[in-house]
Amino acid sequence: MTSLDRRSFVGLAAWATAGMAARGGTRALAQSASPPKLPEITSIPDKLKGSGAVRIAGYGGTAQDAERTAYFQPFEKLSGIKTIDVPGADLNKVKAMVDTGNIEWDVVQLGRSSVKNLMKKGDYFEKIDYELVDVDNIDPLYRYDYALDMLVWSEVMAYRTDAFKSAVPVGWADFWDTRKFPGDRTLTGAGPVTPELEFALMAAGVPADKLYPLDIDKAFASYDKIKASVVKWWETGAVPVQMLSDREVVLASVWNGRMAAIQAAGVPAAISWQQGLLKRDCWAVPKNSPNKANAMKFIAFSTMAVPQARLSMLIPYGFVNGKSAEYLSEHQLGILPSAPAIKSQLVPYNYDWWVDNRDVVVGRWNKWILA
Amino acid sequence: MDPGLNLRLSSWPALRRPSVVAPVSGDARRAVGGDKTRGASVALCGIEKHYDSVGAVRGVSLDVRSGEFLTLLGPSGSGKTTTLMMIAGFETPNAGDIAIDGSSVLALPPYKRNIGMVFQNYALFPHLTAADNIGFPLKQRGIDRATRTRLVAASLERVHLSGYERRYPRQLSGGQQQRVALARAIVFHPRLLLMDEPLGALDKQLRENLQLEMRRLHADLGITFIYVTHDQEEALTMSDRVAVMNEGVVVQVGTPEDLYDRPCNRFVAAFIGESNFLSAVVRGIERNMLILDCAGTTIRAMALQTPTAGEGVTLAIRPERLRFADGTASMAENRIAITVTDMVFAGDCCRYLCHTDSGASLVLKQPSGSTGRRRHPGERADILWPAGDAVIV
Amino acid sequence: MPSRVTPILLVVPLTLYMLAFYALPVASMLLRSIADPSWTVENYLRLAHDSVFLAVSWNTLRTALVVTLGTLLLGYPVALALSRLRHGAAAVVLAIVLLPFWTSVLVRSYAWMVLLGRRGLINELLLSAGLIDSPLRLLNTPLAVHVAMIHILLPYMILPIASVLRQIDRALLRAAAGLGASPRRVFSQVVLPLSVPGVVAGILLVFVLSLGFYITPALVGGPRDLMLSMLIAQQVDLLNWPYAACLSVALLAMTLLLILVLQRLPAVRAVLRAATQ
Repeated sequence: MTSLDRRSFVGLAAWATAGMAARGGTRALAQSASPPKLPEITSIPDKLKGSGAVRIAGYGGTAQDAERTAYFQPFEKLSGIKTIDVPGADLNKVKAMVDTGNIEWDVVQLGRSSVKNLMKKGDYFEKIDYELVDVDNIDPLYRYDYALDMLVWSEVMAYRTDAFKSAVPVGWADFWDTRKFPGDRTLTGAGPVTPELEFALMAAGVPADKLYPLDIDKAFASYDKIKASVVKWWETGAVPVQMLSDREVVLASVWNGRMAAIQAAGVPAAISWQQGLLKRDCWAVPKNSPNKANAMKFIAFSTMAVPQARLSMLIPYGFVNGKSAEYLSEHQLGILPSAPAIKSQLVPYNYDWWVDNRDVVVGRWNKWILA
Repeated sequence: MDPGLNLRLSSWPALRRPSVVAPVSGDARRAVGGDKTRGASVALCGIEKHYDSVGAVRGVSLDVRSGEFLTLLGPSGSGKTTTLMMIAGFETPNAGDIAIDGSSVLALPPYKRNIGMVFQNYALFPHLTAADNIGFPLKQRGIDRATRTRLVAASLERVHLSGYERRYPRQLSGGQQQRVALARAIVFHPRLLLMDEPLGALDKQLRENLQLEMRRLHADLGITFIYVTHDQEEALTMSDRVAVMNEGVVVQVGTPEDLYDRPCNRFVAAFIGESNFLSAVVRGIERNMLILDCAGTTIRAMALQTPTAGEGVTLAIRPERLRFADGTASMAENRIAITVTDMVFAGDCCRYLCHTDSGASLVLKQPSGSTGRRRHPGERADILWPAGDAVIV
Repeated sequence: MPSRVTPILLVVPLTLYMLAFYALPVASMLLRSIADPSWTVENYLRLAHDSVFLAVSWNTLRTALVVTLGTLLLGYPVALALSRLRHGAAAVVLAIVLLPFWTSVLVRSYAWMVLLGRRGLINELLLSAGLIDSPLRLLNTPLAVHVAMIHILLPYMILPIASVLRQIDRALLRAAAGLGASPRRVFSQVVLPLSVPGVVAGILLVFVLSLGFYITPALVGGPRDLMLSMLIAQQVDLLNWPYAACLSVALLAMTLLLILVLQRLPAVRAVLRAATQ
């Protein structure tokens, strides 16, 4: 569409419009949770200090505001490195920058799969300098040669608590059970997102630890059974929570961070964590970034325990540093996918399998959805 | 070269042919068969039209006779076009009645009045060819394609545009467009044709040719024409009668000769042709002639009105009725002394600007071929005019 | 001669702008579709029997057709009213017509989600009026896409038609009536044909814009309402740039083909010819 390009749409829809989707939900959240008392950071290791600047691209909106408070400001104060943050982080832009040698970002926030996908196309990212990183407290799951996870989120089942008398849906078999849990549903489709075949397979009885490699045929056979009840295969995270709010659906797959907003707005909806997918956003450094050294220092800083805890206090997304939990209350840990009690219910998303099979799955998906 | 310059009068072959199949409706029958149509009579009775309380037309009553060529003449803003639009039905009078052939048409929308109309800027449909423009009124009347084609061809021939059927309006010259508009207005044989300054946009030469052509068309068709113009010369040349309008009222109705020779007031005298005005005081009346005192000189004038003795009046005399006294004055002529101020040669005549001893200005036209001696500025002379040529206005 | 050079100079900035920001990207896109990573027309050959591409293209074309027809049917009467109203009233109607322009597409699409939903205004009204027993499925259907897109694109249809209608000489309407045409025939034989240039402009604008719609179908559409723009976006995200470029070229070709076809319609040709002669 003319007045708004798709990129900004995705960005907007993914982050900034969370409030609109929940009709004022974000505002309600911001007000109810009176500014949390953030743990202060008083000093940092000398190896993270420096000079000059680092340019960071995020997704914009309230998330980037939180990142500014949690990471950028203390880093600038303590390291002596100036931070310049811009919105509009995008995989395709990184590709274009590296292809043309005009690198405008030193650090970029991306989905873990995006980084892996682009690395498959060529040498687009710098190796992370793990010498600087607090590796002792960061789960190897979150570490990758060319990116370091910095934000843990989950794609989970959500439902309207007023839809089913006393029954609570737990696991994807319940989601697929339209007799026990009648009503319309929405599930992740294909666009900027990829369909979650894992859900279909778990619904068909595949145990969580035997998912990968995914059985594509079996997954689509499972999808066939639910197709009639899915009114929308969503492509942006704002849609499923909007549909839950509007009672368009009773069950949905959602990004966990979106739920707090509508719950704060009074929508009777809840997350069912069981069999959710554990996914991550990460920091990556575009190849030949002129401020590569500063970028590495920033990445190491932002994944330390306190900065990670600060972010989780501001927005309901999880931390990658195991020590961060010590700074968070029981109540705060109750909505974070990386809290130990929740993390154990989730299935780590296998980025490697998806990098190898995504094109095949999406091609198959397009045919299936149009059939 | 405009084909119309080669004037040729043709009759209406298609319309005269008795073997034409009579179509269904009366209108259509009139359009394709029968003899020369009798023109409609139009009666305007006390019509008024106000726009935002400003009176554009303020009580116009007028009888247009069957088959007459009547012109509404007046300056812009005199209400002539508004009057025409009310006859056509595009404007509704605030008061009064309009009757065609004795029955009121006020309740009829324009498209049911069956009146031919030619507009100022032709109003040809730009998306239709000349033939389709002319065929338009026939199509509205449900006339079949074959008959339409024949009538359109005949109509085009009548306005000397045969062969221009497939041209679009913008491919035609102004004169040609005007002819198409005319052909379109008469092709369905209306009994009344309204024309709103149809020649206004054309140059003089073309205008004069078309004037003549329209005059002949009128004679040939026998229908009633009501013609609107601000050009007095055009009005005098073409019309059976002229109704002079000013400020929303009809000032005078009459034949061109009537209006020229006997204008009823100063406005008509000044608007139609050129007039000299002289102030005078009435002394008495003698054998239907008024005896007047004009700045000490006694003169006589036509007694169209009967003013009382001692009353001040204005006398109007046409410049070409004045001549210089060469010693052959008759008793029936008035004489007045003047001084020549200026002389202008204008081709067919010499115009002399003069002033009387009391200071009134006069214009005198001397035909170029006249045997009379030329006068020069500063020269004193006597001028004469027949008593019957001066009127009180 | 300055008088000859000046007009050329006047169009230089726009020409440079178009070259830099339109022609160049289009050319590089074209190039990418045939030369990335090596010279091949395989992408195009694939399109011919790519069932997804064919289905999505048909979907896109059908949606654009329905939306164009819808805006034409709803927009023409409004344009007609707009051209006939007095200045004050016309300004008010124009403001109402333009109102959608002042709101972002995203917000308007969300507004339609609120209106068309199961518990949305329309369903609530129908339910309370007793016309239906249970809420209708309106949202996430092709109907929702059509309704929302028609709403968004309506001004693009109304404005060119109203502009052309306004330019029609009122004397022509009088002439037609005077020559015996009833109001209905004045419309069908004079007003309608003379408004064809505006209608063509409106159709082109709406159709071309419809072909590229992304947000609205993504938000209010049903599972199968996949448009070409969405497919292109998906392929860009998959980093299948050559294939995405190839799809973009196909979309561009579709648009150009439409313009070509429209220009060749007899009615349009007659009007264009009359306008240029």
